[in-house]
Amino acid sequence: MAGALALEAGGLQKSYGGVLAVASLDLEVETGTILGFLGPNGAGKTTVIRMLSTILRPDAGWFTVAGVPHSRPLEIRRRVGVLPESAGYPSGQTGEEWLTFHAELFGLPRGAARTTARRLLAEVGLAERGGSLVSGYSRGMRQRLGIARALVNDPQVVFLDEPTLGLDPAGQLQVLELVTRVAHQHGVTVVLSTHVLAGVERDCDRVLILNRGRVVEQGTVVEVSRRAATPRRGVVEVPAELRDRALEVLAAGKVDAVAGGGDHRDEVELRIPAGMAPETAATMVLGRLLDAGVPVLGFTLEGGRLSDAFLAVTGDV
Amino acid sequence: MAAVEVRPAAAAAGRRAWLVVTEQELRDLWLAGRGLALLFAYTVLLSVTSYLVAANQALNFLEQREAVSLTLQIAVAVGVLLVLLGAADAVSGERERGTLESLLLTPVPRRALIVGKGVAAMSLWVAAWAVSIPYIWYLGRGVGAVRVAVVSGLVVGSLLALFLAAYGLIVSTLVRSNRLSLSVSLFALLALYAPTQMPTAVQTSWIGDLLIRADPIAAGLRYLGRLIVNAHTPGQDAGWLVGPVVAAVAAVAVALAVGGQLTLRSGERS
Repeated sequence: MAGALALEAGGLQKSYGGVLAVASLDLEVETGTILGFLGPNGAGKTTVIRMLSTILRPDAGWFTVAGVPHSRPLEIRRRVGVLPESAGYPSGQTGEEWLTFHAELFGLPRGAARTTARRLLAEVGLAERGGSLVSGYSRGMRQRLGIARALVNDPQVVFLDEPTLGLDPAGQLQVLELVTRVAHQHGVTVVLSTHVLAGVERDCDRVLILNRGRVVEQGTVVEVSRRAATPRRGVVEVPAELRDRALEVLAAGKVDAVAGGGDHRDEVELRIPAGMAPETAATMVLGRLLDAGVPVLGFTLEGGRLSDAFLAVTGDV
Repeated sequence: MAAVEVRPAAAAAGRRAWLVVTEQELRDLWLAGRGLALLFAYTVLLSVTSYLVAANQALNFLEQREAVSLTLQIAVAVGVLLVLLGAADAVSGERERGTLESLLLTPVPRRALIVGKGVAAMSLWVAAWAVSIPYIWYLGRGVGAVRVAVVSGLVVGSLLALFLAAYGLIVSTLVRSNRLSLSVSLFALLALYAPTQMPTAVQTSWIGDLLIRADPIAAGLRYLGRLIVNAHTPGQDAGWLVGPVVAAVAAVAVALAVGGQLTLRSGERS
């Protein structure tokens, strides 16, 4: 099914009591993609996931999941797996009991449900703790259990809503590695909502950034980073005793430059004007300094990472 | 739009969803939950009541049939209260624990979830009634009231338990917090007990009579009293059962309708 769409949506809209949560969302995700679903808190990510998993009914618009139209919610639920944001877990059940119960809810007979539960517990690294009460699990173990639960029905599309929430850096890394491994092993499409942008850069095929209920950027990680985070600031490193000379040269050339702050006596900070390509600005600045006999010890263009793109398009700068 | 890719349907061999839910709820209630604690408290209450009633009976302050009737009414009233406590926690408890979204994400119809939880709550009544039978037997032996007390208590108690299970589920589905669900449910139950505490003159007036007949709890308890104390036949006072039957049927219908619309609220944690 390469090239087929696992998710497709048009004009999706949802309001809560007059407050617009999602405004006219259009979406296309190819089968087998790991989509990084990003946005600041309150951007509407959870609402979108709840609509696409049929937990919430959209006010307007349409969508399909694995080719099933939104008008058939039970069919969609059979094809999706979801790890909800801040999911709760029954403290009085063991991990295996809980997974078995959910596998049965998806129609598996008791024996097959138990076999599925044990297989998934092993896949997420909880085989040893499957017989322990969930109340004794750490946060990371619960998140892994939640991921296993999202897989009990052998889904075609998996939504993971902040699976790294509340985890330490090592736990975040473990969960993201698990997500990638599971996605490849099961051949599923994954929609991964997270604030761990380094993980998204490493693991996701595509990125979609949502802000105030609207899609503000989407594409591959490289495309989004380049498009949305064009560097607008540079730092030139010169010998400390020649910094004032460098500032004079740049001022004469009408370049917006200031001395580096703090202990950085050898730095000159540049602001690249809107409309000028960073490469052009770099060539011009370096040329003027060298022509004036100021040696350039270093030159850095700041920006160009996914985190910069995120901050640029969500306005959180 | 992409074509629908059909995967092998795993659902075919599974059991009915409401049975799966019921089974899990029963395990949660009786093995890991508060079912046994509630039943223990119920047993203590019934033991104390039976002792006091038997002591009064020995002192000739209470006739034997009155002793049976009093114990039976307490057994039914408190037994169905347990059901209400179980049902009032069913959905709002899932909301508070953050486990509701996981259930709603399954392809199980909402009504099946409600039915499964309702059946599990009803198990509290079944257990309570089983516990109360020895007490009724002990107090009623010798006056031929045991069989009628057990059967009529089972019928009336089951109707009231059904009514309160459905009512508890309705409240639990509609409100956001468990505490609110329990408060609203218990307040309504106390209000339903109120007509039985009215002065006798009011109870025998036409409006008092109408009020008691319309109130399923009061009508059910009145029916039991007439059967045991006055030694009436079950059919003789069957009119008193209209209230409990109508209330049970209506509450179940509303619970299924409301449960069918079960969803997350805006801003609700999963």
